[in-house]
Amino acid sequence: MMEVAGTSQERTRPADAAKSVVSQEVKTHFRVCRFIIETGVKLGMRSLPVATACALYHRFFRTASLEVYEPYLVAMSAIYLAGKVEEQHLRTRDIINVCHRFFHPGTEPMELDGKFWELRDSVVQCELLILRQLNFQVSFQHPHEYLLHYLVSVRNLVNRHAWSRTPIAETAWALLKDSYHGAVCVRHPPQHLALAVLYLAIQSYGVELPIGELEWWQALCDDISRGEIEDIMSDLLQLYDMEAKCM
Amino acid sequence: MDRMRKIKRQLSLTLRGGNSSDKSLSETISSQDNAHSDSEIVHEDVKMGSDGESDQVSATSSDEVHSPVRVRLREKPGRKISNEDINKRLSLPADIRLPDGYLEKFSLNSPLFDKPLSRRLRRVSLSEIGFGKLETYVKLDKLGEGTYATVYKGRSKLTDNLVALKEIRLEHEEGAPCTAIREVSLLKDLKHANIVTLHDIIHTQKSLTLVFEYLDKDLKQYLDDCGNCIHMHNVKLFLFQLLRGLNYCHRRKVLHRDLKPQNLLINDKGELKLADFGLARAKSIPTKTYSNEVVTLWYRPPDILLGSTDYSTQIDMWGVGCIFYEMSTGRPLFPGSTVEEELHFIFKLLGTPTEETWPGITSNEEFISYNYPRYRADCLHNHTPRLCNEGVDLLSKLLQFEGRKRISAEEAMRHPYFHSLGNRVITLPDTTSIFALQDIQLEKEPGMRTTSLSDSVNSISRRQSLLF
Repeated sequence: MMEVAGTSQERTRPADAAKSVVSQEVKTHFRVCRFIIETGVKLGMRSLPVATACALYHRFFRTASLEVYEPYLVAMSAIYLAGKVEEQHLRTRDIINVCHRFFHPGTEPMELDGKFWELRDSVVQCELLILRQLNFQVSFQHPHEYLLHYLVSVRNLVNRHAWSRTPIAETAWALLKDSYHGAVCVRHPPQHLALAVLYLAIQSYGVELPIGELEWWQALCDDISRGEIEDIMSDLLQLYDMEAKCM
Repeated sequence: MDRMRKIKRQLSLTLRGGNSSDKSLSETISSQDNAHSDSEIVHEDVKMGSDGESDQVSATSSDEVHSPVRVRLREKPGRKISNEDINKRLSLPADIRLPDGYLEKFSLNSPLFDKPLSRRLRRVSLSEIGFGKLETYVKLDKLGEGTYATVYKGRSKLTDNLVALKEIRLEHEEGAPCTAIREVSLLKDLKHANIVTLHDIIHTQKSLTLVFEYLDKDLKQYLDDCGNCIHMHNVKLFLFQLLRGLNYCHRRKVLHRDLKPQNLLINDKGELKLADFGLARAKSIPTKTYSNEVVTLWYRPPDILLGSTDYSTQIDMWGVGCIFYEMSTGRPLFPGSTVEEELHFIFKLLGTPTEETWPGITSNEEFISYNYPRYRADCLHNHTPRLCNEGVDLLSKLLQFEGRKRISAEEAMRHPYFHSLGNRVITLPDTTSIFALQDIQLEKEPGMRTTSLSDSVNSISRRQSLLF
């Protein structure tokens, strides 16, 4: 009782500190995922390998600590590993060169000296580390294909003109791609994430869908609640808020 | 329309990740850097690994791992980020209307990352038992060797059971071979009586060792040992088990894609298990294994040989037909060494396809370029004298040119050919062997050689399975 009744200052301080550590971590992850996505684009990776790289990264840091592991190295190895998992094989050398340019814009590529080989060994070693941390569970089911199916279904429910006037598909797709900045992809099943981005896109443009016995989203996915959709949406919107804070 | 264009532009901006955002990002990284003063090394103090925890890993000393930020050569002076940059950076349309209330909501609660501890504790306890440790396993004979992997017969000190140790060397500069990554990630999810069990994974600095259950021989050796004449009842049992394991994979959308007698392992009870998932689930059909060995064409379907990229579960069913034939007759069905020769063998038996037997084939350029003679389809009965009528019917349903016409594993298990096994084999739980049923028994092979001597002499050269 006495402890609980302690001064409000004493009670809030540790909580505040914890909160700021968390938000610092979230910011770091946001930046590193930004790095993964940009590097992926520069390496010519397709959407799914990039999504896999981000998911590997998020899964890794679900159990590992930022204080122990260098996030950008984990990110580079996640990209490398994602290439193997999704069969878009990338060369370590290309990854290192692209990342080098990212860290030091406008400089020459790295010399092929001791440092380069050390870095390459680190990327390879860290790949094994990720494999072990994730217990070799490195293949993912991504929301992309679900989103495509949902979009086709929803398009059939909406007035044709309303559909052509509003970029719902584009927005939902963009939201989905952006979602990989955060860890929603490893916290929710792919079906739910796909549905939430579509829901958010539809709401954002104020498009009306016919209401039958079930809500349209209940018809598409029978194991999701409105509360969960809202949770995912607020996570997503938080990312856009984060962007302003991070960049 | 205008709005669409605007959004498209914004979308493409995220895609290209414009230069401006690059610079501002690298800036944030350099400032970020200071926050992580210890970011230059990766510590190995967190215990991690498979369910079977490896202890050797601590040999991966931290100072061998270097961070990418360490090699930065020089830093760019700071640069201001404009409002415009921020607007461009994420791909949401700028004019998007956010639903009321969400903005307030998300500022309130930020869920903490949950950090489960139980898994780690479980690993530690498994490690104490001896899982994940190399010294838990005694190496016996070498069973085979490939460019990247060596397979040993071994014994587990924990259970005294025989195991197969597939040791993958990691000194190679490309890290873990992707076949190994795929095989492990797949096998972890596949638990079935007709799929080889992965018991343990051991990491050391120089190698990754996969510990599989040990089975005496593969189907190829089994064929050799009984003089290429398997008892027809056993052919039925083996085929059923092959279909059962495959049906389980196909239900999970896993394709094996490298079915051949060498990848089907058989123990003395007659249990048959699918092995070597190194090529499974890959999105293209490789012509070479990771170690550059040519993947055999003998079990590859004609539509794939002619360039079809429509990979589905039906791709495995052709191979099942070829293996069924090989078990029944003792010789491979279509032993071609090139794509052209392979197709030639196929068409010689099943007839050169026409627009009637394979719609669309006459416009397939590869098919036209080979210019095969017009063979008439032969009667399968004449080639498989030991096979009953139902068996021939099933074989013909497996050997269909077009993937979509081929019988599926699930349908095949219900084919009349298997009716003599009874109904209960269909409804067995996944992890129960068909030999759990009393009326299912392996027949003695009349021509079987006593294996003990020949096994140890020949196993090195003959055992090709479990290799990359």
